[in-house]
Amino acid sequence: MNLVAFKILLHDKAKYVALVLGVSFATLLISQQSAIFHSLMHASTRDILEANQADIWVMKSSVETLDQGYPIAELSVNRVRSIPGVQWAVPYYQSTAQLRTEDGRMKLVQLVGIDDLSMVGAPQEMLIGTLAGFHQPDAIVMDIAGYTNIFPGVEPRVGAIVEIGQRRAVVVGICYIGASWSGMPRVYTRRSLGVSMARETLNPVTYVLARAAPDHSPEEVAKQITKATGLKARTRSEFMDDTQTWILKYSGIAENFGITILMGVVIGVAIVGQTFYMFSVENLKQFATLKAIGINNWVILRMIMTQALFVSTIGYCLGIGAANLFFAMTSTQLSGGLRGMFMHPFIFVGSGIFIVLVTLLACVVSVRKVLTVDPAVVFRG
Amino acid sequence: MSVICKDVKMAFKTAAGSVSVLKGVDFSAPAGMLTMLVGPSGCGKTTLISLIAGLLRGATGSMQVFGHEVSSMSASMLVPYRLKNIGFIFQQYNLLAGLTASENVAVPLVASGFDWPTALSQGKVLLEKLGLGTHAHKLPSQLSGGQQQRVAIARALVHSPKLLLCDEPTAALDGQAGQAVMTLLRELAIAEDRAAIVVTHDPRVYSFADRVVHMEDGLIAKVESISLGKPDVTTHSTSR
Ligand SMILES: Nc1ncnc2c1ncn2[C@@H]1O[C@H](COP(=O)(O)OP(=O)(O)OP(=O)(O)O)[C@@H](O)[C@H]1O
Ligand SMILES: [Mg+2]
Repeated sequence: MNLVAFKILLHDKAKYVALVLGVSFATLLISQQSAIFHSLMHASTRDILEANQADIWVMKSSVETLDQGYPIAELSVNRVRSIPGVQWAVPYYQSTAQLRTEDGRMKLVQLVGIDDLSMVGAPQEMLIGTLAGFHQPDAIVMDIAGYTNIFPGVEPRVGAIVEIGQRRAVVVGICYIGASWSGMPRVYTRRSLGVSMARETLNPVTYVLARAAPDHSPEEVAKQITKATGLKARTRSEFMDDTQTWILKYSGIAENFGITILMGVVIGVAIVGQTFYMFSVENLKQFATLKAIGINNWVILRMIMTQALFVSTIGYCLGIGAANLFFAMTSTQLSGGLRGMFMHPFIFVGSGIFIVLVTLLACVVSVRKVLTVDPAVVFRG
Repeated sequence: MSVICKDVKMAFKTAAGSVSVLKGVDFSAPAGMLTMLVGPSGCGKTTLISLIAGLLRGATGSMQVFGHEVSSMSASMLVPYRLKNIGFIFQQYNLLAGLTASENVAVPLVASGFDWPTALSQGKVLLEKLGLGTHAHKLPSQLSGGQQQRVAIARALVHSPKLLLCDEPTAALDGQAGQAVMTLLRELAIAEDRAAIVVTHDPRVYSFADRVVHMEDGLIAKVESISLGKPDVTTHSTSR
């Protein structure tokens, strides 16, 4: 009888299309907003992601989130190095700084000073130039999004000269960095240079990046570091969690996206529920006829569930397809706030399960009507 | 005798209280014959055949349908009872709009467990007999009222039910189409082991009946046996 269910469903083209569009719109809204939210949270840990050689981040104990590191003394690096289980430890400097172009325009940039020797934390994806360029005098590497922000309409190339913290800086390379929380242009340089660009005199280190020796767990080593130095030491994933928790707590982003996603759910349930209900009510006489002929409620229930599953599957595929098309177009951009955004497989699968549940829920209401329709109505008008 | 109802009483509960609709009906419909049930609007015809069909419950009295005591069946027993024993024809045809003529006819067979190809080919054979061979692939909306009712006849008979119940099968049709539908009904529906009950308001089709049962205000008023065109009238006791 499932064939009958399909034929009934597909016969009313307008309603069928409305059902499918309702489901796909809800899917699009839910999956796309969830993915953007997730991507933003992911982007908020940008430096941790970039400096992927380090599995332990050491910082002043009052630091709560990645973007708000406090300068600490250079001595800290050696103290971390002396802890058993630490394979290596290097300084990392991070600050905001004023950039001035030759024609006098000012920009606030995110300055990242990487260890002069080890280059831990250097950009992973150089578009123009190489990491060797860092060793040139006054060398900086800019991310492409920042470059186009600072030099709008200018073809990206090395050689541009700017002033950062009243120091001369020469662009020796252009790299790609995914979107970050602050959205500021990013300027990478040797730490020694970065410290002077930020006019930092006393404490030229923001984080100590370390790696646990192969036979030590980062968690264990981090605890040892804290115990021995009084500094806060977090594993890479702990620090990502700290940062994301902080953002969730103070930014209102979760509420914001939560509302949009909730709207997707409400709209989805409303459109799908309403249309499915109308669909069932209008087909009530057909179902009553089937019941009069002698088709039992279980078969009818299966027919309706088949219709619901069919509609939600097609709607989901269209919606998730549209969402991924969106990311396919935005994620490959080199600049723009949506660059590098993606849909985590969990969202892919989760929104599918969710949509199917919503559709089934929506049709439960109509099912009741169909299952309780008195087959005796077939003889009346 | 194949359908025998004795002292059937039925009341509906309404806002204004209980309304007695059938007040002790004695009714029968023999196999091999077409019994017409006629009477003024509201006298209880549809209620009676709904009870016999097992679409409606709550009556008192006895209703024997080919050996089944319908009044004592539970709701869940009535569903397979209907599927196996009863063919329905409705005033508004009630075909499934998304299904072609032959698919509509196949539905009772598929519901009884036949596979689609078998059911469809049996449906087509029957549609041929009803003169609809060339329309088998059409949707109901592409057929005239008379053609749709013929498809409904095929659907009602395809699984060879013992009892055929028709409520006003010609009411929505013009005279000619009505005559054609009744002619086909007589040709195909009358069988040794099948009883046919046709509720109608339409005096133009009385001549197709073997028996005409007149109902009035919830009671059987009289039963006419029509043989060789001469009505043989028996007045029914209404002394209850
Ligand atoms: N479900 C119901 N609830 C309350 N009253 C009902 C119900 N069904 C039928 N009735 C009443 O029972 C009476 C008989 O109805 P029924 O439909 O059996 O008449 P009928 O003889 O078929 O009439 P018609 O020729 O107009 O179809 C009517 O007065 C009707 O209003
Ligand atoms: Mg009636």
